[in-house]
Amino acid sequence: MRLAAVEHGHRLAQRLKLLLIRVVSMRRVPDVVKTLFYRPEFFGRPMCDWTQAVMRGPSPWSVGERELFAAFTSRLNQCLF
Amino acid sequence: MVERLVESVLAGPGQAASELRRAVFARAFGPLSSPRSRTERATGGEDIAPDLAGYIDKVALHAYEVRDEDLAALKQAGNSDDVLFEVTVSAALGAAVGRLERGLGALRGEASPPDSLSTTSSSPPVPLSAARRGGTQEQR
Repeated sequence: MRLAAVEHGHRLAQRLKLLLIRVVSMRRVPDVVKTLFYRPEFFGRPMCDWTQAVMRGPSPWSVGERELFAAFTSRLNQCLF
Repeated sequence: MVERLVESVLAGPGQAASELRRAVFARAFGPLSSPRSRTERATGGEDIAPDLAGYIDKVALHAYEVRDEDLAALKQAGNSDDVLFEVTVSAALGAAVGRLERGLGALRGEASPPDSLSTTSSSPPVPLSAARRGGTQEQR
Protein backbone atom coordinates (compact mmCIF):
# COMPACT_ATOMS: atom_id res chain seq x y z
CA MET A 1 0.00 0.00 0.00
CA ARG A 2 1.51 3.30 -1.09
CA LEU A 3 -0.50 5.60 1.18
CA ALA A 4 0.36 5.18 4.84
CA ALA A 5 -3.02 6.54 5.91
CA VAL A 6 -4.84 3.81 3.97
CA GLU A 7 -2.45 1.16 5.31
CA HIS A 8 -2.51 2.14 8.99
CA GLY A 9 -4.87 5.06 9.48
CA HIS A 10 -8.18 3.25 10.02
CA ARG A 11 -10.57 4.27 12.77
CA LEU A 12 -11.11 1.96 15.73
CA ALA A 13 -14.20 0.12 14.41
CA GLN A 14 -12.53 -0.64 11.08
CA ARG A 15 -9.25 -1.50 12.78
CA LEU A 16 -11.03 -4.12 14.88
CA LYS A 17 -12.70 -5.60 11.81
CA LEU A 18 -9.35 -5.75 9.99
CA LEU A 19 -7.83 -7.48 13.01
CA LEU A 20 -10.68 -9.99 13.04
CA ILE A 21 -10.25 -10.70 9.32
CA ARG A 22 -6.51 -11.21 9.82
CA VAL A 23 -7.02 -13.57 12.77
CA VAL A 24 -9.79 -15.62 11.16
CA SER A 25 -8.19 -15.87 7.71
CA MET A 26 -4.67 -16.19 9.15
CA ARG A 27 -3.51 -14.06 6.24
CA ARG A 28 -2.51 -10.51 5.52
CA VAL A 29 -5.61 -8.42 4.79
CA PRO A 30 -5.79 -7.62 1.04
CA ASP A 31 -5.14 -3.99 0.10
CA VAL A 32 -8.55 -3.69 -1.53
CA VAL A 33 -10.20 -4.44 1.82
CA LYS A 34 -8.03 -1.88 3.58
CA THR A 35 -9.02 0.65 0.93
CA LEU A 36 -12.73 -0.11 1.36
CA PHE A 37 -12.39 0.18 5.14
CA TYR A 38 -10.57 3.51 5.05
CA ARG A 39 -13.09 6.32 5.69
CA PRO A 40 -15.86 3.92 4.56
CA GLU A 41 -18.54 6.60 4.38
CA PHE A 42 -16.54 8.34 1.64
CA PHE A 43 -16.05 5.40 -0.72
CA GLY A 44 -16.13 1.89 0.76
CA ARG A 45 -19.73 1.73 1.93
CA PRO A 46 -21.45 3.15 -1.18
CA MET A 47 -19.03 1.13 -3.35
CA CYS A 48 -19.89 -2.11 -1.52
CA ASP A 49 -23.62 -1.35 -1.84
CA TRP A 50 -23.19 -0.90 -5.57
CA THR A 51 -20.97 -3.98 -5.95
CA GLN A 52 -23.46 -6.09 -3.99
CA ALA A 53 -26.34 -4.95 -6.20
CA VAL A 54 -24.42 -5.50 -9.43
CA MET A 55 -22.79 -8.81 -8.53
CA ARG A 56 -25.52 -10.44 -6.40
CA GLY A 57 -28.70 -8.48 -7.09
CA PRO A 58 -31.49 -9.38 -9.55
CA SER A 59 -30.05 -9.85 -13.04
CA PRO A 60 -30.52 -11.96 -16.19
CA TRP A 61 -26.88 -13.03 -15.64
CA SER A 62 -26.00 -15.71 -13.14
CA VAL A 63 -23.61 -14.91 -10.27
CA GLY A 64 -20.98 -17.11 -11.94
CA GLU A 65 -21.30 -15.29 -15.25
CA ARG A 66 -20.96 -11.93 -13.53
CA GLU A 67 -17.86 -13.09 -11.67
CA LEU A 68 -16.44 -14.26 -14.99
CA PHE A 69 -17.07 -10.83 -16.55
CA ALA A 70 -15.30 -9.21 -13.59
CA ALA A 71 -12.31 -11.55 -13.82
CA PHE A 72 -12.09 -11.06 -17.59
CA THR A 73 -12.23 -7.27 -17.30
CA SER A 74 -9.64 -7.28 -14.54
CA ARG A 75 -7.37 -9.44 -16.68
CA LEU A 76 -7.59 -6.91 -19.52
CA ASN A 77 -6.83 -4.15 -17.01
CA GLN A 78 -3.79 -6.18 -15.93
CA CYS A 79 -5.27 -6.35 -12.43
CA LEU A 80 -5.52 -10.06 -11.62
CA PHE A 81 -7.68 -11.53 -8.89
CA MET B 1 -27.00 3.50 -6.74
CA VAL B 2 -24.00 4.53 -8.79
CA GLU B 3 -25.23 8.11 -8.43
CA ARG B 4 -25.02 7.78 -4.64
CA LEU B 5 -21.44 6.54 -4.90
CA VAL B 6 -20.45 9.36 -7.25
CA GLU B 7 -22.17 11.92 -5.03
CA SER B 8 -20.39 10.63 -1.93
CA VAL B 9 -16.95 10.72 -3.56
CA LEU B 10 -17.36 14.06 -5.30
CA ALA B 11 -19.45 16.01 -2.81
CA GLY B 12 -18.93 14.26 0.53
CA PRO B 13 -16.66 15.65 3.25
CA GLY B 14 -13.01 15.44 2.27
CA GLN B 15 -9.59 17.05 2.31
CA ALA B 16 -9.50 17.79 -1.42
CA ALA B 17 -11.88 20.52 -2.58
CA SER B 18 -15.06 19.16 -4.10
CA GLU B 19 -14.32 21.20 -7.26
CA LEU B 20 -10.97 19.42 -7.61
CA ARG B 21 -12.59 16.01 -7.14
CA ARG B 22 -15.17 16.87 -9.80
CA ALA B 23 -12.45 18.06 -12.17
CA VAL B 24 -10.48 14.84 -11.58
CA PHE B 25 -13.60 12.73 -12.19
CA ALA B 26 -14.35 14.64 -15.40
CA ARG B 27 -10.80 14.26 -16.71
CA ALA B 28 -10.76 10.52 -16.02
CA PHE B 29 -14.30 10.06 -17.36
CA GLY B 30 -13.12 10.63 -20.95
CA PRO B 31 -15.29 11.53 -23.91
CA LEU B 32 -19.04 11.15 -23.78
CA SER B 33 -20.79 8.90 -26.24
CA SER B 34 -24.12 10.65 -25.95
CA PRO B 35 -25.19 14.28 -25.66
CA ARG B 36 -26.95 13.78 -22.32
CA SER B 37 -24.11 15.42 -20.48
CA ARG B 38 -23.52 14.88 -16.79
CA THR B 39 -22.95 17.78 -14.47
CA GLU B 40 -19.64 16.28 -13.36
CA ARG B 41 -18.48 16.31 -16.96
CA ALA B 42 -19.48 19.91 -17.48
CA THR B 43 -17.13 21.17 -14.80
CA GLY B 44 -14.12 20.33 -17.00
CA GLY B 45 -10.58 19.62 -15.90
CA GLU B 46 -8.99 23.05 -16.11
CA ASP B 47 -7.88 23.50 -12.48
CA ILE B 48 -5.64 20.45 -12.15
CA ALA B 49 -1.90 20.87 -11.57
CA PRO B 50 0.22 19.25 -14.32
CA ASP B 51 1.83 16.64 -12.03
CA LEU B 52 -1.57 15.65 -10.68
CA ALA B 53 -3.01 15.55 -14.20
CA GLY B 54 -0.34 13.06 -15.28
CA TYR B 55 -1.12 10.86 -12.28
CA ILE B 56 -4.87 11.01 -12.95
CA ASP B 57 -4.36 9.94 -16.57
CA LYS B 58 -2.22 7.04 -15.40
CA VAL B 59 -4.82 5.89 -12.89
CA ALA B 60 -7.56 6.22 -15.51
CA LEU B 61 -5.79 4.45 -18.37
CA HIS B 62 -2.93 2.33 -17.03
CA ALA B 63 -3.42 1.97 -13.28
CA TYR B 64 -1.04 -0.99 -13.25
CA GLU B 65 1.79 1.40 -14.20
CA VAL B 66 1.49 3.50 -11.03
CA ARG B 67 4.73 3.29 -9.08
CA ASP B 68 5.86 4.20 -5.58
CA GLU B 69 7.78 7.12 -7.08
CA ASP B 70 4.59 8.64 -8.50
CA LEU B 71 3.01 8.88 -5.06
CA ALA B 72 6.28 9.91 -3.41
CA ALA B 73 6.65 12.83 -5.85
CA LEU B 74 3.06 13.96 -5.29
CA LYS B 75 3.54 13.79 -1.52
CA GLN B 76 6.77 15.74 -1.89
CA ALA B 77 4.77 18.39 -3.74
CA GLY B 78 2.67 18.87 -0.62
CA ASN B 79 -0.33 16.59 -1.18
CA SER B 80 -1.48 14.76 1.95
CA ASP B 81 -2.36 11.06 1.99
CA ASP B 82 -6.04 11.92 2.29
CA VAL B 83 -5.93 14.28 -0.71
CA LEU B 84 -4.16 11.61 -2.77
CA PHE B 85 -6.65 8.95 -1.60
CA GLU B 86 -9.56 11.14 -2.66
CA VAL B 87 -7.95 12.08 -5.98
CA THR B 88 -7.16 8.43 -6.74
CA VAL B 89 -10.70 7.28 -5.93
CA SER B 90 -12.19 10.15 -7.96
CA ALA B 91 -9.99 9.28 -10.95
CA ALA B 92 -10.71 5.54 -10.77
CA LEU B 93 -14.43 6.17 -10.37
CA GLY B 94 -14.46 8.66 -13.24
CA ALA B 95 -12.73 6.19 -15.55
CA ALA B 96 -15.07 3.38 -14.45
CA VAL B 97 -18.29 5.37 -14.83
CA GLY B 98 -17.07 6.72 -18.18
CA ARG B 99 -16.54 3.18 -19.47
CA LEU B 100 -19.87 2.08 -18.02
CA GLU B 101 -21.67 4.93 -19.82
CA ARG B 102 -19.89 4.21 -23.10
CA GLY B 103 -20.55 0.49 -22.75
CA LEU B 104 -24.24 1.09 -22.14
CA GLY B 105 -24.19 3.55 -25.05
CA ALA B 106 -22.75 0.83 -27.29
CA LEU B 107 -25.56 -1.51 -26.25
CA ARG B 108 -28.01 1.22 -27.27
CA GLY B 109 -26.27 1.32 -30.64
CA GLU B 110 -24.49 4.65 -30.18
CA ALA B 111 -21.09 5.20 -31.79
CA SER B 112 -18.19 5.20 -29.37
CA PRO B 113 -16.07 8.37 -29.51
CA PRO B 114 -12.27 8.31 -29.70
CA ASP B 115 -10.45 8.46 -26.40
CA SER B 116 -9.17 11.99 -25.83
CA LEU B 117 -6.71 10.90 -23.15
CA SER B 118 -4.91 8.56 -25.49
CA THR B 119 -2.51 10.86 -27.32
CA THR B 120 0.01 8.44 -28.76
CA SER B 121 -2.26 6.17 -30.73
CA SER B 122 -5.58 6.29 -32.51
CA SER B 123 -6.47 2.81 -31.31
CA PRO B 124 -8.32 2.62 -27.99
CA PRO B 125 -6.53 1.46 -24.84
CA VAL B 126 -7.17 -2.07 -23.69
CA PRO B 127 -9.84 -1.29 -21.07
CA LEU B 128 -12.00 0.49 -23.64
CA SER B 129 -11.82 -2.35 -26.11
CA ALA B 130 -12.65 -4.63 -23.20
CA ALA B 131 -15.75 -2.57 -22.50
CA ARG B 132 -16.79 -2.89 -26.13
CA ARG B 133 -16.19 -6.59 -26.20
CA GLY B 134 -18.11 -6.94 -22.94
CA GLY B 135 -20.96 -5.06 -24.59
CA THR B 136 -21.44 -7.75 -27.20
CA GLN B 137 -22.12 -10.40 -24.57
CA GLU B 138 -25.82 -9.70 -24.70
CA GLN B 139 -25.97 -10.82 -28.33
CA ARG B 140 -25.01 -14.40 -27.57
